[in-house]
Amino acid sequence: MEPTYHQTLDVKGAKCPMPLVKSRKAIGELPVGHILRVIATDRGSVADFQGWVKAAKNVELVAQETTAESGQELYVHYLRRTA
Amino acid sequence: MTLAEVQTSAPAIPASALYQSLLRHDAPFILDVRNPDDFARWRIEGRAGLVVENVPYYDFIEDEEAATARIPAGRAVLVVCAKEGSSQYVAELLRERGIEASYLEGGILSWGNLYDRRDIVRAPWGRIIQIARPARGDVSFVIASDGAAAVIDPLRHTAPYRVAMAEAGARLTHIFDTHVHADHISGGPALSHESGAPYFVHPYDAIHPIDMLPATIAYTPLDDGQVFRVGQVELRAIWYPGHTLGQVNFLAVAPDGSRYLFTGDGIFLRSFGRPDLGGKGEAWTPLLYESMTRRLPPHLTDETVILPAHFSTLDEADAAGRVGATWGVVRRNNESLAHLASAEAFSTFVLGNLPEFPPQYVEIKRVNIGLRNPTEAEAEELELGKNVCALAQ
Repeated sequence: MEPTYHQTLDVKGAKCPMPLVKSRKAIGELPVGHILRVIATDRGSVADFQGWVKAAKNVELVAQETTAESGQELYVHYLRRTA
Repeated sequence: MTLAEVQTSAPAIPASALYQSLLRHDAPFILDVRNPDDFARWRIEGRAGLVVENVPYYDFIEDEEAATARIPAGRAVLVVCAKEGSSQYVAELLRERGIEASYLEGGILSWGNLYDRRDIVRAPWGRIIQIARPARGDVSFVIASDGAAAVIDPLRHTAPYRVAMAEAGARLTHIFDTHVHADHISGGPALSHESGAPYFVHPYDAIHPIDMLPATIAYTPLDDGQVFRVGQVELRAIWYPGHTLGQVNFLAVAPDGSRYLFTGDGIFLRSFGRPDLGGKGEAWTPLLYESMTRRLPPHLTDETVILPAHFSTLDEADAAGRVGATWGVVRRNNESLAHLASAEAFSTFVLGNLPEFPPQYVEIKRVNIGLRNPTEAEAEELELGKNVCALAQ
């Protein structure tokens, strides 16, 4: 079941490091407690987001899921701003 | 910097240039900005003393100041990531702070796929060309003489061999694998398919040792003692079971009397091939002992040049990047050969020094005899990282 979210960031087609750079920026503009849904096509984003939230001060990785859209793998990340 | 794409003024360093500097041991400070898991799995290695630091690119995004402080001052920095985007991003940040930063073109992926070609010998009778994948520690050879060429232990991508043979003006006549490999996908069947030249492998290796299933690829069985002629070079197969049941060494004798022993995963310059990758370490170790103490020695002279299929550390390559040494040098310097006094002592030493068994090695052997047919992406994944075919040092 997909978590509830407040905003979506579409970074389909963006290559590393852009999914993470844009997510960092978008999280900063979100109210504390809100959840950002990030839709990426870069497979490396899965491991990188897991590593990032360990280093990040105010981001929590709520969930990650892999889906498909017209034959293309989508990597969806749910991030909560915690502070 | 725009968020749409990375724009950088940092110079791109090709993997081939990185390799030259690793051989010279004058590489810049290497900053690997991948995540720690990927870094732990596989990284750039050079000669002893090379420092590679891991600071993930998102650490720069979170706290640029703190991340930059982890880079030694006053040194040129080569930034490395998976494909190159993040390394461009970080290199640009560093340059804005006055640090001389470049990035590895194509990322560690291009390092992993770098093929390096060098002459082992170039003589009136012909050439022995070394073709290596330095990131994996994989080494293969082309023997070219009088317009004929034999390839020994070819690696997965066939283009480097076609280029080498074209440059040597030689046509492929024989393709040999010293054994069915576990760490990398052989280029042998593909080269055979492209050229029509026969692919030779010992029949004992044409059965998957764990699945107990026979090969489905086309191959020509090798015999112990079988002799081939490649131009003016005589090539003899010497059965050397242990690492696999069907491993052979090839002894090349040139018309000037010089001798070259292609040991495959038999004797390496600083170690030797482990006997457990078929899942039968205890049963195969005595075979390996027999090969090392009885089968091979009659063919060795101190002047015979040992040319193995792997290195474990770049220090095994000389300044010119050649991974070879005379038997006289190897028998003195290879400390793992000091345990051959008795079969019992040898077994104790071997079975006590087995490195981890990479699980994908069972699958790679399947691929190499045709039991599996991976996509390019799956093949890349199977071959990720450096070989672990040698006994631990």
